[in-house]
Amino acid sequence: MNVNFAGCALCDSTWGNVWAEVEGERRFFCCELCLRQFRNLLARVKLETGWVHLDAVEIVGDRSGRTCTASCGSGTLRVRVAFNAEGTLRQFEPF
Amino acid sequence: MTKCPVCLRESEPSGFASLAKHLEAQADGSDSDHVRWLNQNVSRTKLGAPELTERLERFFDLKGAPLSEWIKRRFIARFYAEPAHPFVRALQHPSRATLLGYVVEHQHFLRQWVRSCAYIMARTDRPDVVLYELDNLNTEYGGTGATPAHYELLLRMGESLGVSREEILATAPLPATRAGIDGWNRIASTEPWPAALGAMHCLELIAHRDLVREGASSHYFDPGILQGTEISDAAKAFLREGYEADMGHAGQALALVERYAAELGVVPDVQAAVLRSIDLFDDYLIARLERGATFER
Ligand SMILES: [Zn+2]
Ligand SMILES: [Zn+2]
Repeated sequence: MNVNFAGCALCDSTWGNVWAEVEGERRFFCCELCLRQFRNLLARVKLETGWVHLDAVEIVGDRSGRTCTASCGSGTLRVRVAFNAEGTLRQFEPF
Repeated sequence: MTKCPVCLRESEPSGFASLAKHLEAQADGSDSDHVRWLNQNVSRTKLGAPELTERLERFFDLKGAPLSEWIKRRFIARFYAEPAHPFVRALQHPSRATLLGYVVEHQHFLRQWVRSCAYIMARTDRPDVVLYELDNLNTEYGGTGATPAHYELLLRMGESLGVSREEILATAPLPATRAGIDGWNRIASTEPWPAALGAMHCLELIAHRDLVREGASSHYFDPGILQGTEISDAAKAFLREGYEADMGHAGQALALVERYAAELGVVPDVQAAVLRSIDLFDDYLIARLERGATFER
């Protein structure tokens, strides 16, 4: 699965030192909170679309609001997402 | 004496090189709060010790301006840059759900507010600070004669939107509100009292009407909603009260902070406590939205 950030898969930060397997690949995250947010986001995308895997996830924005474009084969889902302080999704609006 | 703006630990030895070393070590350990602070205030890109030290020096430098200006600048950068904080955006023309989220979480905030101000009163020896806090507590919590307190107006706003006082008072705070309460309690009870004063009363800037003149991208809410029928009368009464009360309060408090921080030599403590308070408040405002979502139909 491709992501658009070279740093933390969720926020692009290069601070921190968390490595975790997500979607079958070892990925870098700046902190456990970003890892939790990323996992929650992917799980929700799969739940909404029924996709069993993802080809790419592109994230734009920061804590005040993000948009995410996820794709699988020819399918694309664009959503506005936001998390609470514990990393749970509090907004997930396809647009 | 430099102090970490996240865990409020004093740097040993004092100085920005020590603070940089501490932040680096915390970031290497992937501590979420420290990484978040670096991401939001310094850079998303990991920096080497010399550059981080230099950036921190610049960040905390008052640049010849009064401490109150530095506090306002930090506050505006977090809550009123473009785009404004998500809660501020939602409050421009608030839905019933947004206002109820405000009521349910803020009830807990105000009860901690009383405790924090009481700590400041207990720990200061300056009569002007005591008098300021007394006045503030009456406005926020006690009420004076015919004027209901902000706390009472908040509960009335909730009732006007169809949720009983009993239900509001019986609802436990969300985790971020709880974390805020714990953090503010710690600051108020253990930090030098001018730092507690700064950490608490900078938060009143959120409703400060003059902030727009100082660079805020919007008001706390669109003042137009105080006219017309967009929100209930009780909601208007609550928002109007804050709009008017907080204007004097925050300015007056920051003047006291500035004076006593200099007199007691605790400017770095004030800066660190204010920054911590801003992070806690940011998460707490999100909790209001999160609570509000539970009232959406
Ligand atoms: Zn991250
Ligand atoms: Zn620290």
